[in-house]
Amino acid sequence: MLKFLLKRILAAIPVLLLVILITFLLIRIAPGGPFDRERQASPEVIENLNKRYNLDDPVYVQFFNYLGNLVQGDFGPSFKYPNRSVTEIISNGIPITAELGLYALMVAIGIGVVSGVIAALRPNTAQDYIPMSMSMIGICLPAFVLGPILVLIFGIYLGWLPVSGWGYQAYDKVLPSLTLGAAYAAYMARLTRGGMLEVLSQDYIRTAIAKGLPKWKVVLHHALRGGLAPVITFAGPAAAGLLSGSFVVESIFQIPGMGQFYLQAAFNRDYTMILGTTIFFASLIVIFNLLADVLLVWLNPRLRHSTLKN
Amino acid sequence: MQELEQGRSLWDDALSRLRKNKLAMISLCYLVVLIIVALITPWIAPYSYEAQDLILGATPPSSEHWLGTDSLGRDQLTRVLYGSRISLAVGFTATSVALLIGVLWGTVAGFLGGRVDAFMMRVVDILYALPFAIFIILLTVVFGRSLILLFLAIGAVEWLTMARIIRGQVLTLRHQEFVEAAVSMGLNRWQIIRRHLIPNALGPIIVYTTLTIPSVILLESFLSFLGLGIQPPQSSWGSLISSGVETMEEYPWLLIYPGLALSITLFSLNFLGDGLRDALDPRVSKD
Amino acid sequence: MKIKLLRLILPLVCITAFGCGQKTETNVEKGYKTKTLYIANGSEPEFLDPHTSTGSPENNIQLAMFEGLTMKDHKTLKPTPGVAKSWDISEDRTFYTFHLRDNAKWSNGDPVTAQDFVNSWQRILTPSISGDYAYMLFVIKNAEKFYRSEIADFSEVGIKAVDEHTLTVQLNNPTPYFLQLLDHHSFYPVNKKVIEQHGDFYDPLNPWTRPENIVSNGAFKMEVWDVNRAIELVRNEYYWGQDRIHLNRLVFYPIEDKLAEERAFRSGQIHLTFTPQMATEKIAVYREKNPEALHIQPAYSTYYYMFNTTKKPFDDARVRQALAYAVDRKTLVEKVTKGGEVPSYSLIPMDPEGYSPKTLFSDDIEKAKALLAEAGYPNGEGFPTVEILYNNDEVHKKVALTLQQMWKNALNINVQLFNQEWKVYLSSRKNKTYDIARAGWIADYLDPSNFLEIFFSFSENNHTGWENAEYDQILRDAQSATTDAARFELFERANQILFEEMPLLPLFYYSDVNLVNPTVKNWHDNVMHYHRVQDVDFTVPASE
Repeated sequence: MLKFLLKRILAAIPVLLLVILITFLLIRIAPGGPFDRERQASPEVIENLNKRYNLDDPVYVQFFNYLGNLVQGDFGPSFKYPNRSVTEIISNGIPITAELGLYALMVAIGIGVVSGVIAALRPNTAQDYIPMSMSMIGICLPAFVLGPILVLIFGIYLGWLPVSGWGYQAYDKVLPSLTLGAAYAAYMARLTRGGMLEVLSQDYIRTAIAKGLPKWKVVLHHALRGGLAPVITFAGPAAAGLLSGSFVVESIFQIPGMGQFYLQAAFNRDYTMILGTTIFFASLIVIFNLLADVLLVWLNPRLRHSTLKN
Repeated sequence: MQELEQGRSLWDDALSRLRKNKLAMISLCYLVVLIIVALITPWIAPYSYEAQDLILGATPPSSEHWLGTDSLGRDQLTRVLYGSRISLAVGFTATSVALLIGVLWGTVAGFLGGRVDAFMMRVVDILYALPFAIFIILLTVVFGRSLILLFLAIGAVEWLTMARIIRGQVLTLRHQEFVEAAVSMGLNRWQIIRRHLIPNALGPIIVYTTLTIPSVILLESFLSFLGLGIQPPQSSWGSLISSGVETMEEYPWLLIYPGLALSITLFSLNFLGDGLRDALDPRVSKD
Repeated sequence: MKIKLLRLILPLVCITAFGCGQKTETNVEKGYKTKTLYIANGSEPEFLDPHTSTGSPENNIQLAMFEGLTMKDHKTLKPTPGVAKSWDISEDRTFYTFHLRDNAKWSNGDPVTAQDFVNSWQRILTPSISGDYAYMLFVIKNAEKFYRSEIADFSEVGIKAVDEHTLTVQLNNPTPYFLQLLDHHSFYPVNKKVIEQHGDFYDPLNPWTRPENIVSNGAFKMEVWDVNRAIELVRNEYYWGQDRIHLNRLVFYPIEDKLAEERAFRSGQIHLTFTPQMATEKIAVYREKNPEALHIQPAYSTYYYMFNTTKKPFDDARVRQALAYAVDRKTLVEKVTKGGEVPSYSLIPMDPEGYSPKTLFSDDIEKAKALLAEAGYPNGEGFPTVEILYNNDEVHKKVALTLQQMWKNALNINVQLFNQEWKVYLSSRKNKTYDIARAGWIADYLDPSNFLEIFFSFSENNHTGWENAEYDQILRDAQSATTDAARFELFERANQILFEEMPLLPLFYYSDVNLVNPTVKNWHDNVMHYHRVQDVDFTVPASE
């Protein structure tokens, strides 16, 4: 096990290096630079800024300089917010976005797994359709629609919950978490239902039920383990996606997380910030996918031998 | 070998089981009607999708404009109908692209395992981590605007999650008795993948596919926001919904109808998907 | 995890089930008690260094934090004393002597001296600081030469600190708007001693504007800057005009989304919106239901389309004119933009107290058709399909859609829309890979030259490829003209050339639309969207 983890962590290094290299090239090819504005600055100003940010060096020199700084933990200054370092901006935003992502994931798993299991117990009956339809609201109403609707209803018409913020007032975390979690709840619900049906039709479960064990006990003790496999494979990218995909929710609710920067940095051609957020996101993906793989093996002991061996 | 012989009757069985599932059949009918309507839209649309009536402006549904008009006085019904063409085309094509690449990639990785699996999954990780917005911005510049490109761009993004899910599924299946048995019987890899692994992974494939279609339809509006794909005055469900959100308090019908169109389609896809999944379940068929 | 989940869901269930959400005090209500003004300020400020910043969210904050030699009266926009309590102007109007207040102080207690201004202006004129607005100072003698490194000795530039409280400025030409410029952020003083504690005085990355470092000389000073949450300013106790400040604290929220901004206003989170635009369809709602909160003010700024004159068919002035004639501007502003915009037929906005351009053409479809036929495209035949390039925005999209339709109906020509992501759009404009592009200009100072100089043949903002030697000469003459009458005549000639050549197609003059809580006192609308919060106060509602 340890060897497997170690190998995967080592494999992450070339992955990150490649991500950095490709991103580095992509942003240099993309039209428009960090200093382009509606009112065009004079060529002298641009030239001086390029010099200040070492953008006048050849690209490979810039790349190795960047790597050199990165090894020392320095992500460089942001181009858009020159008096803040990328490290500072990201580390300020991470706890907030992570908290939001965690709550959203809990909402998603809570709503999704529960309704998926309920639905799978009696497929193609009302007990299936009703929870599944409820869980799909999150896909029919994507965050940019659901968020404003929730704000209008609970924040403005009823006046029960704050319209924005994160930890400034009581209960202001409720609406953003719901909004962000809703879409993933639908995925979770559907994948759970599918996975559960798959498992419930297998012989060992049937045997267990035939033996007269209560159905819910079988579900909780035996079926959930196998039935959640697709959910878990999805939870890896989903958790990473929740963190990077929170920009819509963050901007609707004025949450000072880092999700906003992930997209804004690209729009601003804030080179260092793009790289910083991308590296952060890439690490998340590597970690979450690794976790998902480990969980998958844990849930399915038969895989242990072959997966861990390589 | 039992399964091989049953190959044909398996599909027949599935079809007859699907027919018994009322909800799935209703959904199928709706989708067929929807596709036909989308195809013949240019002949049945009551108005032109771009003709404005600035004096009229935004009006609620009426006998002249069944779904109302938008703030430039354009007929909403016409725009939803035309939108279905683009949204369905994007939804189905991009999802097929994603499905094709994702299923192949995931199955091969999961089946072969070992170094190949590790390598293929790291490629997925890398692609997943690249900044999507920059990638799209580059595409707009390098290739200009074309719908084909839009489909490919979306497909290129959506297959990654698909591949991961399939791989997980195949990994689980790989060590079940019937696959091991097939291996020991000397079937070649391709046969095993095609006959055993893919059919048995169909459940999650179908579920994920039916969920990918609506998210792709919405993603399209984000891409046209970045300048890739359709341009106004063309409409799509995604773009109608995202501009409907802006005026949902003043002109709610501009959000409700395209939203309904998308939701009903999504529900139908899911009911049909579930029906298909249940019908195709190879284990159920053994009864 | 189950417990945490419960903790998250329970409040919601409780609130939904019993409707027990007690009304908490809103920011607006809190503000009356603590004399705090809550403001929605658009996007997150990038950088508050007055010499390198460019955007208006930054400017709004700088206006409260810094003070130039002069200020402007927010009703009339006439210069009023700032750090300078008075000034003398020479007979030929090129030599200014400013008498500084002896009680003007920095927020750390240091006195503001004439030398501070000399240092600051040297700073922005030093190329390494990379100030976008350095050119604003080029009206000062030798300033441009110093900037271009043609002279190395700053003492040759026309700025002198005669003594601690006397500053003289020698201009190149009589510049009637010079006193206005002094209130622009590029002319603000900065504290050299403080900046040098944090790095090089001429380094744009010097972190002196961080909240723990920054020292300013205006009515307010910074206390908090939480990125993407809020900037909070408090009263500067060293400010000379203590009796003029009514508020204790200003809170600027970065709210970029127009709809979120309106929701924040409606729910009492903010007293006012500082960004001059509002979601189009909400304007009519406020007009009807809450007119006293809605502020609409025609602005000294223009929305226009520019033509790529290097490319067929827009290399022909008649084609450009035809398109300009074929727009129904009244319908455009009344039915599409809906924010009280005014149709425009010139690049230069109207100024009742200064120069207003003559209206040289009108919305005239017949004339448009004739011009197009004359250019070789009778009834639009043979006219290529052209594109309108715009950056993604609901208003830009609607305007482009409307024009597409108007041109199709009037001239029978096919126009396509092309929206691009902001930076791609900017680079397309710069590289002239467009046919027609949306553009706009918001004045830095109240003078027509600010607009006309965009189309200098060498201007970085002239992306049309249009050059005209006579036009350039007229603008140069206007810079050195000594009387208003002479200047206005030159402006009119330039305006005439712009009409004849039509490198740009004026559409409308913007209007500033803001939401201001009616209890906010001394908020005066003006054409420059100039709002100094130090004058603002509350009329506390009767119920309090």
